[in-house]
Amino acid sequence: MSDFTGSGAGLRRRDLLRGAAGLGAGAVLAGCSAPVLSGLGTGRESAGSLDFWNLFGGGDGVRMTEMLDGFRAAHPGTDLKAVTLAWGNPYYTKLSLATLGAKPPDVAVAHLTRAKTLIASGLLEQLPLDELARSGITPDKLDPTAWRAGLVDGKAYAIPLDTHPFVMFYNTDVCEKAGLLDSAGKLTSLDSAEKFTDAMRRAKQVTKTYGGVVSINGDSATPWRIFQSLYSQLGGQMLADDGAQVVIDRGKAMRVLTFLRSLTSSGLVPGGIDYQGAIATFANGQAGFYFQGEWEISTFQTAEMPFSMTLFPNVFGGGRYAVQADSHTLVIPKQPDTDPERRDRSLTLIKSLLDQSKTWAQGGHIPAWLPFRNSAAYRAMTPNSAYAAAAQGAVYDPQGWYSGSGSNFEIVTSNAVATVLGGQQQPGAALAQMRDQLLDLAGTPSPIEGGAR
Amino acid sequence: MAVDLAARVETRTKLFNRVCLGVLIAFAVLWIGPVAWALDTALKPNAETTRTTWLIDNPTFDAFGRILNETDILRWFGSSLVIACLTATGTVFTASLAGFALSRLRFRFRRVLFWGILAGIMIPPQVLIVPQFREFDSLHLLNTFWAVSLPQIPTAVAVFIFLQFFDGLPRELEEVARMDGANFWRIYRRIVMPLARPAISAVAIFAFVTSWNDLLWPLVVLSNPDIMTIPVGLATVQGTFGIRYADTMASAILGAIPLVAVFLLFQRNIVEGIAGTGLKG
Amino acid sequence: MSTTQTAVRPAAGASQPTPRPARADRHGLPAAGFLAPFLTLYLLFILGPAAYGLVMSFFDASLVQSGLGAFAGFGNYAEALRSADFWSSLWHTLWFTILTTPPLIVLALAFALLADRAARGRWFFRLAFFMPYILPSAVVALIWMFLYTPELGLLQNMLGHIGITAPNWLGDPDWAMPSLALTTLWWTLGFNFVLYLAGLQEIPRDLYEASAIDGAGPWQQIRRITVPLLGRTTTLVAVLQVIASLKVFDQMYIMTSGGPNFATRSLIEYVYDEGFTNYRIGYAAAVSMLFFLVVLTVSAIWFRIVRRGQKEI
Repeated sequence: MSDFTGSGAGLRRRDLLRGAAGLGAGAVLAGCSAPVLSGLGTGRESAGSLDFWNLFGGGDGVRMTEMLDGFRAAHPGTDLKAVTLAWGNPYYTKLSLATLGAKPPDVAVAHLTRAKTLIASGLLEQLPLDELARSGITPDKLDPTAWRAGLVDGKAYAIPLDTHPFVMFYNTDVCEKAGLLDSAGKLTSLDSAEKFTDAMRRAKQVTKTYGGVVSINGDSATPWRIFQSLYSQLGGQMLADDGAQVVIDRGKAMRVLTFLRSLTSSGLVPGGIDYQGAIATFANGQAGFYFQGEWEISTFQTAEMPFSMTLFPNVFGGGRYAVQADSHTLVIPKQPDTDPERRDRSLTLIKSLLDQSKTWAQGGHIPAWLPFRNSAAYRAMTPNSAYAAAAQGAVYDPQGWYSGSGSNFEIVTSNAVATVLGGQQQPGAALAQMRDQLLDLAGTPSPIEGGAR
Repeated sequence: MAVDLAARVETRTKLFNRVCLGVLIAFAVLWIGPVAWALDTALKPNAETTRTTWLIDNPTFDAFGRILNETDILRWFGSSLVIACLTATGTVFTASLAGFALSRLRFRFRRVLFWGILAGIMIPPQVLIVPQFREFDSLHLLNTFWAVSLPQIPTAVAVFIFLQFFDGLPRELEEVARMDGANFWRIYRRIVMPLARPAISAVAIFAFVTSWNDLLWPLVVLSNPDIMTIPVGLATVQGTFGIRYADTMASAILGAIPLVAVFLLFQRNIVEGIAGTGLKG
Repeated sequence: MSTTQTAVRPAAGASQPTPRPARADRHGLPAAGFLAPFLTLYLLFILGPAAYGLVMSFFDASLVQSGLGAFAGFGNYAEALRSADFWSSLWHTLWFTILTTPPLIVLALAFALLADRAARGRWFFRLAFFMPYILPSAVVALIWMFLYTPELGLLQNMLGHIGITAPNWLGDPDWAMPSLALTTLWWTLGFNFVLYLAGLQEIPRDLYEASAIDGAGPWQQIRRITVPLLGRTTTLVAVLQVIASLKVFDQMYIMTSGGPNFATRSLIEYVYDEGFTNYRIGYAAAVSMLFFLVVLTVSAIWFRIVRRGQKEI
C-alpha cells in the first residue's frame, strides 16, 4: 500500500479541478436537470405521462411500435413512453420489482398465465366492469375463453389482447404431392392417431427426409406445448388446488407419450433438433409439417415458401377440441397512488391497442377483440383466420405459482417430454421423473399464498 | 574474460528484450481488437454490419444519433454520475473520519471495533442483496439513488486505507496544535486531511469506479428505466435492438465513453488507485 | 504491497506507540463522533442486513408478502442441499473459477514480465491491458456477444480464415462457460497485470546486475530471481482472483441469462432467480448464506495452499 499512497502518486489539486470540470461537463452533457435528480426523491413523473412496458422483439415488436404510434397520433396530449424489455423471466422479475418499488409502468403486457401469479401476489390493479365499460371495453366484446381464464374470483385484472395457440404449419407443395389436399386445396383431416401418423408417413415419402418436425433440443417450452395439446384433448389435468397437488392421469399421459415416441422412433419426426433447426428443416422443405405457436408465421412468410396453417389436429379429442395456448394481456400494475386521470389515460391506451387488433393479428395471433375478429377484414386474412377456432379450445397452463409461460413448470415438463421424443427415456420413466419434479415444486411452500401484502 | 562474458550477456539480453517487445505488442493489439471492432461496427450503417469486414463503405455517426435519441442513455449517464459522486463522497467522508478515530484517538472498545470493521471485509456484498432489498422496500426508498448509494458507502477497506495512511503520518504538527488547544475535528480538517490527498484520491477513485460499474445491486433496486444506471440500462435494453448491430455497438461505445475519457485523463492515478485499493478488497 | 500485511496482521498498525500512557477511553466522546457516520451506515446497511438475512433464511419469507412468513427451521437449507439446481449452479461457479483463475494469473504475470523489459511505451501497454477493466460489464457483454455471434461474428470469421471451425460459442452448453471465461480474461486481466507491474517495481535492480555479472541470461534471471520474488504478489493476486471469480454474476446474467439450458447459471444468479423471479426470499437468503460459507471456505483453503507452496520456494 505504502508504495502507492506514499509516493506522491495521488491527485494534485490541479488534477482534482480538472476532474471536477470534466465531471461537470458530463453532467451538462447528460442534460441532468430535474429528470435525473428525480432519483433523489420518491415522487413520480409529471402530468400527462404514460409509461408502457412490453416484451416484444422481432416482428411483434415492430407491429407493437406501429400501434403505439397510432395511439400517439390519436392522443397528442399524452406523453406515451414505451419500454421494451428482454422476454421471459427477466421481464416478469423487473415488472414485479418495479411494482414493489413503487415505480411501476402505467400499463404493461403480461402473459395470461403469468398475470395469474401477479394477481395472486397483489401486484395488479383490479379493473371494475363499470369502469371498463366507460372506456368502451365490455366482456361481450372479448374472446370468452381468454376473458374467463383471466378472471380471479370473478374479478377482472387482465384484458386479453390475443390468443396464441399451438398450431400446425404445413407445406402446401409437399401435402399436394402426398395427396393430402382435397380438390379445393384444403388439407384432409388429421383428427386421429392413425390419420395423423399416415399423413406424416405420406409427407415423408415426398420429402424423403421427415414427415413433420417439432423443436426438442434445448427447448424448455415446445415439448410441453405438444404434450399438453394432446393430453388435454384426452381431458387430462396436471395440477390441482392452485399448484399444491399434482394430479397427472397416468393412463392418459402414457398414451400421449407413447404416441409421441412412435412418431420419432419410426423416423417420421426427428428426435433431436433444436428451435432454429426445426424452423430450417421445415423452411427447406425437408418436412411437410411443423408444429409451433402461430407467431412463426412471419418467418415463413419472409422465406416466401409455399405453406399454410391450420388447427393443431384433434388427435385424441373426438367431439371436443383442445390445444395448448396462452394470451397476451394488458394489465395495470398496482399503482402507488390513486390518480383518476392517469387511470383514464391507461384505459384509453388499452382500448386503443384493442382497436388496432388488425395490425396485431398480422403477427399470427388470434385477436381477442371480437369486433375485429368477427369482421370480414379478419376472415379475409389468410392463413390467419383458418385457425381462429383454436381460441375456443385454448387450454391455458394449470394454475400454480411455479406455472405459466417460460416457468419452472414448463421447463420440468418439457425436459421430461423431450427425453421421450429423443428416445433417451421410456415413457414410464419420463413420466415418473416429471411427476417427482412437479411434486418437489408442489411441496415447496408457495411464496404467494395468502395474497396481497 | 569477465568483460567478454558480460558483453555477450548484454547482446543476448538485448535480443531477448526485442523478442519480448514483439510478443507483447502482438498481444496488446489483440487486446485492443474487440473495442476497435465495436467502434468500427458502430460507424457502419446497420445494413453493412452483416458483412464481417473492417472496411466501411459509408461511415456514419447515425447509430450514435439513434441511440442518443431513442434510448434513455443520457438519463442513465446522469443517474450513474449522481450515484457514483454520492458514493465516492460518502465513502471518503465516513471512512476518513473512522480511520482518523482508530488511528489517533484512545477509547474503550477500540480493538473490538477494529476487528468488527475488519470482519466486514469478509462479507461479499452479493450475500446481502435479498435482505437489503427488503430493508429499502420498508424504507420506501426503492427506485431512488439512495437505495443504490447508501449500502455502497460503508466500505471497511476504505477505513483501513485511511487508518494506515494516518498511521504513517508524522504527529509533531498535531502535538503542537493540541497544545494550542485545537480539537480533534480541527486537526482532522486542517492538518490531517490536507496531507491525505493520495489516500483520498485512491479511495475516491476506487469508490467511483466500483459504483459506476456495479450491476447486481442497482439491477435489483432500480427497476424503472427512467433512473437506471448505465450498466443496468444497457443490460435491460440489450436484445431489443435485434440485428441492428451498429446501434448495439454504438450503445456499448457510448456506455464506455465517460469512464474511458476520465481514464485517459488520469491514467496513472486511476491505475494506482484501483490497484492499490483493490489490494485490500 | 505491504497492504496485505496490515489486513492479515492488523495489530501491527494498531499498536503505534502513543505519546503518553493514557486511560483507555480518554477520547471516548470525540471518538464516538468521528465513528458515528461510518458505524451508523455500517450497522444499518451491512451488519443489519447480514443479521436479517440470517434470520430470514430460517423462514419461508416471500418477496410479495410482508413479514417473515412461516418458520421453516433448517428447511430452506435442507431444500438447497437436496436441490439439483443448487449443486449445479455451485458447480458452474466453481467451474468458472477454475477456468478463469490460472490464465488470469499466468498471462498477467507473463505480460507484466514482458512489459517490464520494454524500455519505452509502457503507458501504451497499460492502456491496452488495463482499459477493458474499467468498462462496465454491460459494455463488455455487448461487445463480446457481437464477437461471438454465429455466422457474422468476428471470432468465427477469423478462425475461419485459418481453417478452424468455430464452435457455437454461447449457444453450445459445453462452450458457453469457456466463452464467458475468455471474455472475463480479456476484461479483468488488466487488474492483475497492474498488480504484477507494481510487484516488479519492488525487486531491487542490483539483484539483476549481480546475476548478470555471474553470466545469468534473461531467462535464468526471470526463473531464479523475478518469479520467486514475486511470490507474495502471486499469493495476493490468486486470492483476490479466486474470490472475484466466485462472485461472478454479470457476464452470465447479460450474455447467456444462465443458459443455454442453465449450463452457465452461477450461484449468485441462482439466488437472484429464486429471490426475485420466484419471490422466494427466505430460500434465497439461505442459499446466500451457503454461498458465504463457500467463499470463506475456498479462500481459507486457497490461502493455506498458496502459503505452504510459498514456504517451499
